[in-house]
Amino acid sequence: MSTAEPSSGPDAARSKLIDALQAVAQQDRAALRQVYDMTSAKLFGICLRISNDRDAAEDILQDVYIKVWNRAGRFDAGRASPITWLCAIARNSAIDWRRASGRVATAPEEAAFAIADTRMRADQTIEQDQETTRIHQCIDTLEERQATAIRAAFFDGLTYADLSARMDVPLGTMKSWMRRGLQRLKGCLGDD
Amino acid sequence: MTEPSAPMTPEERDALASELALGLLTGAERAEALRLQLSDPAFAADVTAWERRLAPLHHDFAEHRPSLEVWAGIAAQIEPKATVASGVTRQLRVWRASALVSGALAASLAFVLLFRPPASLPPQIVQAAPANQMAVAQMVGQGSNMLVAARYDETTAQLNLRAENLPQGDLAPELWVIPADGKPRSLGMISARGTTRMAVSPKMRAMLENGVTLAITMEPAATAPHAAPSSAPVAAGKISII
Repeated sequence: MSTAEPSSGPDAARSKLIDALQAVAQQDRAALRQVYDMTSAKLFGICLRISNDRDAAEDILQDVYIKVWNRAGRFDAGRASPITWLCAIARNSAIDWRRASGRVATAPEEAAFAIADTRMRADQTIEQDQETTRIHQCIDTLEERQATAIRAAFFDGLTYADLSARMDVPLGTMKSWMRRGLQRLKGCLGDD
Repeated sequence: MTEPSAPMTPEERDALASELALGLLTGAERAEALRLQLSDPAFAADVTAWERRLAPLHHDFAEHRPSLEVWAGIAAQIEPKATVASGVTRQLRVWRASALVSGALAASLAFVLLFRPPASLPPQIVQAAPANQMAVAQMVGQGSNMLVAARYDETTAQLNLRAENLPQGDLAPELWVIPADGKPRSLGMISARGTTRMAVSPKMRAMLENGVTLAITMEPAATAPHAAPSSAPVAAGKISII
């Protein structure tokens, strides 16, 4: 559970978001608007990146907030940060859309590396910032192709089939790179 | 369909969990992993652990402003008298996908349906069995005190449910059975606290088979029963015949 809450800065934004989500769980429409104002740019960024289609991304975003409206009662501030919970809903929704639309990957492989230059962190606590830094340090210890594949899967929502086509390797090879890379990542993060 | 072909090692299970959490799987592989996530609490825990590991990466998505129409669309859908029936097909599709997406069940509980084969078991065994199954519930619902236990008596077609700590508010819990075709069918609304007794219709009885999924979603009580769920389940579990 959280400890002291400062009156301003990222921790204050976080508690404000938690309060708003709890009000959304009581079907408070003004609270959903507040959640939307605080998070829509972030969640739209996720939808846009993964769908690579502005109109689709707006449809997905609309669905995301309807899901938030319906599921806010299940958000547990003791188990997840509110922004992470929201981001996961957005990413999963965008990935579902990609799967359903049969969209194939068009962005070049290098796109996965460009991510580092566009980081937006206004809503993060110091702890989350450290976690983000840490996972990047761990991904950087992997073989380059493993790191590229993991980033492309996370940020572009690519499947094994997409990755194998984009990186021009057989599916089986892609799979074994990925599995080895992910297990090394887990070892580096050392959370077990 | 009924039993997994070969038991996975913990390493294989964790590798599959990482692939599901990252979103690498498609088609039959994904369906199988999602099915396993519903039926195997240890695998579900592995998936949750991977989601947590990868979560800090979310912070690197760049922000973009959506157009103003997006909020207008959301506001229209959350109006008090929103037309629930208009998008049933679409809602069903969304629900099916979201129900199976990893996060949906992370905070959920196990839902255990216990069948009593007609007049074959002494009552004491039926009484003892739920405690045994509760251990499963505890694993899946880690950190949550929600619990639903169900018992079905085939001889009377009576379904008894006991719910603890389901979400309370304007929406009420609705019970669904999801047979092999993947389409949820409403069994009716249940009480968010305490015991609900319901008579199961002959059509629904045939669907209550071993391994079939039961789920609970939160729905507006006034318009029940519904043709399709409008949101992801707060609880899901498999029927076990004892």
